[in-house]
Amino acid sequence: MAASDEVNLLESRMVVPLNTWVLISNFKLSYNLLRHPDGTFNRHLAEFLDRKVTSNANPVDGVFSFDKVIDRMPSLLFRIYRPSFGCETRVTMIDLERPVESEYVPVIVFFHGGSFAHSSVNSAIYDKLCRRLVSTCKAVVVSVNYRRAPEYRYPCAYDDGWTALKWVNTRTWLRSKADSKVHVYLVGDSSGGNIAHNVALRAVEAGIEVSGNILLNPMFSGEERTDSEKRLDGKYFVTIRDRDWYWRAFLPEGENRDHPACNPFGPKGISLHGVIFPRSLVVVAGLDLTRDWQLAYVKGLEKAGQNVKLLHLEQATIGFYLLPNNEHFYTVMDEINYFINPDQQ
Amino acid sequence: MKRDHGDTSKGSSSSSTSSSTTSAAGSACSNLWDTKDPSPSAGMDELLAVLGYKVRSSDMADVALKLELLEMAMYNNSGATDISFATLPHGTSLDDDAGLSYLSHLSSDAVHYNPSDLSSWLQSMLSELNPTPDFSAASSSQQQPPPPPPAQPPLRQPFPDYSACDLSVIPGAAATPPNKRLKASMNTAAASPPTASSSSALTAVSPPRPVVLVDSQETGVRLVHTLMACAEAVQQENLKLADALVKHVSLLAASQPGAMRKVATYFAEALARRIYRIYPREFSLNSSSYNILQMHFYESCPYLKFAHFTANQAILEAFATVPRVHVIDFGLKEGMQWPALMQALALRPGGPPAFRLTGIGPPQPDNTDTLQQVGWKLAQLADTIGVEFDFRGFVANSLADLEPSMLNISSSEVETVAVNSVFELHKLLAMPGAIEKVLGSIRAMRPKIFTMVEQEANHNSPVFLDRFNEALHYYSSLFDSLAGCGAGASEDTVMSEVYLGRQICNIVACEGTERVERHESLIHWRSRMESAGFNPVHLGSNAFKQASMLLALFAGEDGYRVEENNGSLMLGWHTRPLIATSAWQLGSSNGGP
Repeated sequence: MAASDEVNLLESRMVVPLNTWVLISNFKLSYNLLRHPDGTFNRHLAEFLDRKVTSNANPVDGVFSFDKVIDRMPSLLFRIYRPSFGCETRVTMIDLERPVESEYVPVIVFFHGGSFAHSSVNSAIYDKLCRRLVSTCKAVVVSVNYRRAPEYRYPCAYDDGWTALKWVNTRTWLRSKADSKVHVYLVGDSSGGNIAHNVALRAVEAGIEVSGNILLNPMFSGEERTDSEKRLDGKYFVTIRDRDWYWRAFLPEGENRDHPACNPFGPKGISLHGVIFPRSLVVVAGLDLTRDWQLAYVKGLEKAGQNVKLLHLEQATIGFYLLPNNEHFYTVMDEINYFINPDQQ
Repeated sequence: MKRDHGDTSKGSSSSSTSSSTTSAAGSACSNLWDTKDPSPSAGMDELLAVLGYKVRSSDMADVALKLELLEMAMYNNSGATDISFATLPHGTSLDDDAGLSYLSHLSSDAVHYNPSDLSSWLQSMLSELNPTPDFSAASSSQQQPPPPPPAQPPLRQPFPDYSACDLSVIPGAAATPPNKRLKASMNTAAASPPTASSSSALTAVSPPRPVVLVDSQETGVRLVHTLMACAEAVQQENLKLADALVKHVSLLAASQPGAMRKVATYFAEALARRIYRIYPREFSLNSSSYNILQMHFYESCPYLKFAHFTANQAILEAFATVPRVHVIDFGLKEGMQWPALMQALALRPGGPPAFRLTGIGPPQPDNTDTLQQVGWKLAQLADTIGVEFDFRGFVANSLADLEPSMLNISSSEVETVAVNSVFELHKLLAMPGAIEKVLGSIRAMRPKIFTMVEQEANHNSPVFLDRFNEALHYYSSLFDSLAGCGAGASEDTVMSEVYLGRQICNIVACEGTERVERHESLIHWRSRMESAGFNPVHLGSNAFKQASMLLALFAGEDGYRVEENNGSLMLGWHTRPLIATSAWQLGSSNGGP
């Protein structure tokens, strides 16, 4: 079983506000119901429990959204968020893809989290987060409804992310006025952060320029058990066991966690020396048990001579960016804004 | 970025965006205007409300306690009395046998309801695991439901012809939520989104306008531009310009492939009728052809099947143990909903109840008694499956013409009543006072359950352009979803498009009492129902799952989705809900049973 030290179940209560604790514990409980030990997933119950919101072409707090279906079988859908700049009270079909008007418009391609298995673009938590990104960064956000595990394993999520990047990159209406180019940022949390990295790899290979990567608590791992995993197992909403389950569900059958998708700087990783990889902002929550893997990722980028900024929030748990009720949330939003709009501070 | 009218609301982020969160945005209005019944949305944690969870701030600690108890109960094999909060072996996982069996039970067998109401949901799981007294701190506003009886194993039967797959009868107690009223957001005006000239100080909750576009090589941007420009010209009564534009639309539409062409054509035709004032009066009279069109719609895509299936599920749960049942169908049409219900009743453990059906329909121009014909067919089916059956048909121009006394409803000791309405209620909004009368009639019928299915759309704005815009998005999604269902040009699909085209025509070209397609979204219906003294009956994860599985079988296309929304189920195309099924019971506070 496990180590001998006993921990107080309520310890996680100490480090987050009560409503955050309730939110994340509720996810933890729901997700426990959904994962079967044999690797199957109760998708019907997952969709039943997920709280969803529709897109909304009526501006709310300066942001409106609409959904776009890109492919049909299997379907790939994006939710696109745009700032409404206050003066529009009615957004019609024509306005949805009206060309952006600013000299510089950051376009965020967003990959939601959920450990590759949970959530969708219309999950309320992610709809809200994307709206905040629009408001904070004055960006257009394209949230990608990538195919999820265990029904769709590696590399489906990456394929969908890649399709999204190519699509965004070829939209004339997303070109900044200053240079007629689309300025793309790949942003994601948890599995979304992992997807952002892997899509960036493809971009590099194909010569598509990505202005930057932003990874929030990105999901990485490896066969080794790191110190943070051992020390924090079960303490702050997450267990090694559930992490393992999700990797088993996502990675190709028979592969282990040293697969390069999971462990990009591990024994099977590829070198990024001399590669023009996008500059990165990596946000690490100190109380996330996979912290050491995320720090190793940052180290790996540094060693390869890449431009990476680490924001290590030692007292933060997973999901801190879902509710604007803690200082970490505001710190991160500011950092993201600064990363995307360095000239406008 | 906050609301301008100074109010007592908790301030933060407005969330009028979603149909699944009602309280945060509405609480301001409720606090100010609703003095009689302090809105239960007051005191909701706004941050969680925005994310779809309704938890009162004052209940937060209690909810946290329930979460902890559930975690304990799953770890602990020996029952509630041994729960110790303080310690948990480091790294204990839920993969040990005891935890596993609890999880497995909760995951596979238990029925879940309304996950937005966290407290009740958690409590229902606690009750499943430990049928002992409620652990929650005494909260006077909450009444917990009795622990649900163990779910009976579903009955698996081969599919009856075209209708639903298996409809399991599940004991009814689980479906009834605690006796507290969660009011939907209070709209100060019935379904009008703000007009173009309104300031940013939105005093009413603005319903969301969901949009799903399909990307294609030729997006038809010019076509849409022209349609919108035409609608605007109509709005501004510049009929000369509108006339020129509508002709242009037809030209553009002819060369536009796919669903967009068809949609544009119907909208253009409707605009033309409005411009030339050729109102399609004949539609309302020719109901038998409308019935036939609806049958094609039934065959070609899953919307009606979903409507019938989910309504039947709620009715079955209400009829679980009673000996005599009486269904009053507000729109019998071809009676497509009832064979599946009758077959499920026939298979009820303990045997079927006596089944009485009252079907209501409009008068036929040729005076044929189509209602009786349908009743006769159903009687034959009843005979084959061994269900005692009685049918009566009632002809009425409008549901508002009905008097409950006409229907010979027996008292509740004798028969259990269900009232069912699929796409009928919105028509009543065309006549002042009609909906109130009908809701009162439903109350007078003393149903155990009232099931309703309506379009999940706001097509009733007094502002023509808003209505036009909404309808364009809605029917575009609907037509897109048809495009994939079966062969593109099948007769069913074509007739379905004609069926929908009539609705489009009515929304765009008609006004006043002629404009009957006055669709309103569930948020508005909830408000109306609750004002009329009804409480929600929640549809649960079992119905959700079965509806999803039904879709996988019958829907050709990959984009259909079932969504749960505060106890009701919606069927949508990708991320856009298009129809919503909800169920209701009489509230006790207004002199109910």
